[in-house]
Amino acid sequence: MKLSPTRRGFMGAAAAFALAGCRSAHAFGPPTRVDVAELQLSRGTLSRPNAWSRLLLETVQTTSVECTPRAVQLEPDDPELFAHPFAVLVGNAELPALKPAAREQLVRYLSYGGFLFVDDTSGDPDSPFDRSVRSLIQQCFPTRPLTVLSAEHSVYRSFFLLREPVGRVALHRRLEGVALGSMHPLLYSQDDVSGALDRREDGLDLHACVPGGERQRREAVKLAINLIMYALTSNYKHDQAHVRQLMQEGRLE
Amino acid sequence: MIEWLTAGGTFGGGELVYTGGPVVIGIAAIGALLVFAFAVGPGLRRRIPEFGALGLGLGLVVLVVARPVWLAESERVEPGRLVVLIDASRSMAVAEPGGSTRFDAALALAERIEPTEVFHFGGELRAGAPLGATLDGTDIAGALQALSRRYAGEELAGIALISDGIDRGGLIRVDPAGARSLDPSVLPALPGPLTVYAAGSARDVADVSITHVVSGSFAFLRSPFQLEVLVERSGMAAEAVPVTLTRNGQTVGTSTATFDEAGRGRAVFKLSPDAPGRFVYEASVPVAADDAVPSNNRMSRVVRVVRDRVRVLQVCGSPSLDQKFLRLFLKEDPGVDLVSFFILRTQADLRSGFMPDEISLIEFPYRRLFSDDLPTFDLVILQNFDYEAFFERDSARLLGNIADYVRAGGALAMIGGDRSFDLGKYGGTPVADVLPVTLGVSGAAVDEAAFAPVLTEAGARHPVTRLVAELSENAALWQRLPSMHGTNLTGGAASDAGVLLSHPSQRQGGAALPVLAVRQVGLGRTLALTVDSSWRWSFSEAALGGGNQAYLRFWKSAMRWLVGDPDDQAVVIELPRENVEPGESLQVTVRVRDAGFAAVPGATVVGSVSGPDGEVPLSGLTGADGHVGFGVPTATRGAHRVKIRALAADRSELGSAETVYAVFTRDPELDRISADAETLRALADATGGAFVPGGTWSPPLRKEAAGRVVTDRRESALWSAPLLALVAASLLSLSWWFRRRAGQR
Repeated sequence: MKLSPTRRGFMGAAAAFALAGCRSAHAFGPPTRVDVAELQLSRGTLSRPNAWSRLLLETVQTTSVECTPRAVQLEPDDPELFAHPFAVLVGNAELPALKPAAREQLVRYLSYGGFLFVDDTSGDPDSPFDRSVRSLIQQCFPTRPLTVLSAEHSVYRSFFLLREPVGRVALHRRLEGVALGSMHPLLYSQDDVSGALDRREDGLDLHACVPGGERQRREAVKLAINLIMYALTSNYKHDQAHVRQLMQEGRLE
Repeated sequence: MIEWLTAGGTFGGGELVYTGGPVVIGIAAIGALLVFAFAVGPGLRRRIPEFGALGLGLGLVVLVVARPVWLAESERVEPGRLVVLIDASRSMAVAEPGGSTRFDAALALAERIEPTEVFHFGGELRAGAPLGATLDGTDIAGALQALSRRYAGEELAGIALISDGIDRGGLIRVDPAGARSLDPSVLPALPGPLTVYAAGSARDVADVSITHVVSGSFAFLRSPFQLEVLVERSGMAAEAVPVTLTRNGQTVGTSTATFDEAGRGRAVFKLSPDAPGRFVYEASVPVAADDAVPSNNRMSRVVRVVRDRVRVLQVCGSPSLDQKFLRLFLKEDPGVDLVSFFILRTQADLRSGFMPDEISLIEFPYRRLFSDDLPTFDLVILQNFDYEAFFERDSARLLGNIADYVRAGGALAMIGGDRSFDLGKYGGTPVADVLPVTLGVSGAAVDEAAFAPVLTEAGARHPVTRLVAELSENAALWQRLPSMHGTNLTGGAASDAGVLLSHPSQRQGGAALPVLAVRQVGLGRTLALTVDSSWRWSFSEAALGGGNQAYLRFWKSAMRWLVGDPDDQAVVIELPRENVEPGESLQVTVRVRDAGFAAVPGATVVGSVSGPDGEVPLSGLTGADGHVGFGVPTATRGAHRVKIRALAADRSELGSAETVYAVFTRDPELDRISADAETLRALADATGGAFVPGGTWSPPLRKEAAGRVVTDRRESALWSAPLLALVAASLLSLSWWFRRRAGQR
């Protein structure tokens, strides 16, 4: 099969990787690797017990990022949160009000380099969780409202090229975010991305993805990996060199 | 004796003037008559001699009281004065075809004219003959105006002006179309007829000159800028001339200037400066054997090269938390132009089943980055980057390029991780030769135990680790910062490296294992940080309720030190301008800062300015703001280099700096050197004078009536003449003798 220039270019780089052989990742121990902090506010916020370990495993298998496939559960006001720069908040019910100290720490966490992915698992366009999330964000960032990310946002190309973000459901097909500087350290999905990732102990998926089935799940996994990559590389894929080459190769319009 | 007796009177010609008051004379006359009437008695006929002598004697007394003065006046005519004005500007030193200079010819003419008085001029009129053609700013009209003021109200027999006609004053006006004509409004009413002698020959002298070096006074680092050299020729037939451009004495290019019909040409150099600072660019053209003015064949100009932004290449072998925080810092700094390349996927990740078209990866342009593009970066950061998988057979060349880049002035930082230092197989490569740590560790090349780095003595004072000015505060801050999770093991510090942070327990070769080390290599600098968790200095500090200032200051200081920006050194010389006119006042300011970039008051600053005239010493003490100012010489054209050393109170060296400035080498007097006979002829016509072409002779115009009349006036005070008193006394005595002989009493 004759490869297109695009593919040949990529495979050229890939061939270079092959010569390096399979190497074990040493890192300098778990504290320097990527993991996930689950914010624990109520029972519903821990409703996807295996989603994050799956995400981290998928990330290790797919990318060069070194992860510790674990999720730690932390209260929002726990100082330990700062040891885990990637955090998630999931739920399907109304969130309890955060104490001022917790809100303050959350703002500081996001302002100094932390990343928070908020996932509404209800599949309900008008869920109590959505209302309480918006209220919480308004309290934390009164001058920085949630806005819908444009199709050109870095999170849609941080590793995979995504056309639209979906999860277990595909009701909204969008991400919203809060911008701080050139980055969105808080992203919000109402399509239950973690539901598409979550699985049983035996490895089988827990929830069916609707309406797209496994194809939709695959897109949700790609989105989740992109979230990790975006949290680490921010707007890297908007750097001029990347945009120019992707456009030249026709992979980006 | 006779002159004494007559009070100097010669009585050859003149008139008698009585200067006594009429009242006094009248009283004296009445008194004399009364005396005479009292003396007259019987026997008048027999006593005639007595009365005659008495009358004459009294008459003489009255004459003395009338104060007679003999006034003698005479006139003579002196010949009129002839004044010569000699142009003593530097253009008169130009050698004419044949060898002698115009100035030589002017002196010979002046001698032949036989003037009464001699003046010379450049920008102003000066009395006396000139000693040489050394003056600036030829102002012919100004010289004539000054002469006119000097002889206001007088007439001169003649004025002779000797010049080459090259006027830098206001004698010539240029209309919008570029036509030149003499401006009669600047000419004064002259006190005598003007004869204008042309000192230059009618033929053009042979000369090629650089008239301008045109560029902005500053350029941006690695951004192209244009430098234009304007050239003129006269008296020669050359169609083109090669122009050579040097920077700080090193040739940077040669171009050809082709002359147009007017004898003007230009050469253009497109330059892309590769280092910040001030540089002397000097353009020059070859000196032909018959070139009249070799000194105008070269010209210097100083261009200040500044960074608009620090251009950083961050190459990371794997997205990580350490990479994330460093990128956030670099990306948010408006002074940084960041190019990042992260290896997002390795061969081990290909099993995941996703097709390449689904992925936004681009080819890693490592060959271009580490060859052609490398010099365009101020700083290269290799962060946990394993080169071997990419460089393949090009490894030696590309790693050699990195080492050469550093030695040529580039900056390199290697940050720890499982793909760095020995784990990245850099041992034995050209890159290892420039790192501040030695490689080639056998066995485990990593220690995963957490530890708190120790600030070394060198680190306490070094700008990279001097996060706050106060030493104890700085040490306390480093102790507060969170621990690191593991480190690469190395063979220790390179012999000429500085260790700023060390491991508290790991040792290598008897010394604590370096965790942060820096090194100057050739013109460049390198830094090794053997941990991959410096991000914790940012995030953990925020956890305690603080900001991330320690992290930001550390990396900002590291970046500034690595790129070695001239404005970010301990000692900085500030110049208000790089190019100045001769004689223009120029003050340089020396700024002295310590390792923590705090002002150092009371520092001794010594140095010198070296230029075409030799070396001038500089010495001073910094004030409370760490600044000290010096006036520097600007009298002589050419490049001047300022070198400064700053010493602390204990005489230890705080740093040194140097810079350059140029006293503009364009000499207006030598800009246009062909004699301008037409201007001189027009001047003669405008003043009703005469023009004498160069190489010919004609005596100057003379106005004979301008000869000066001189009056000789002589006064003789007869009343004070001893002879007059003697005669009067004799007559009165004789009258008395006759009276006694006649038996009278």
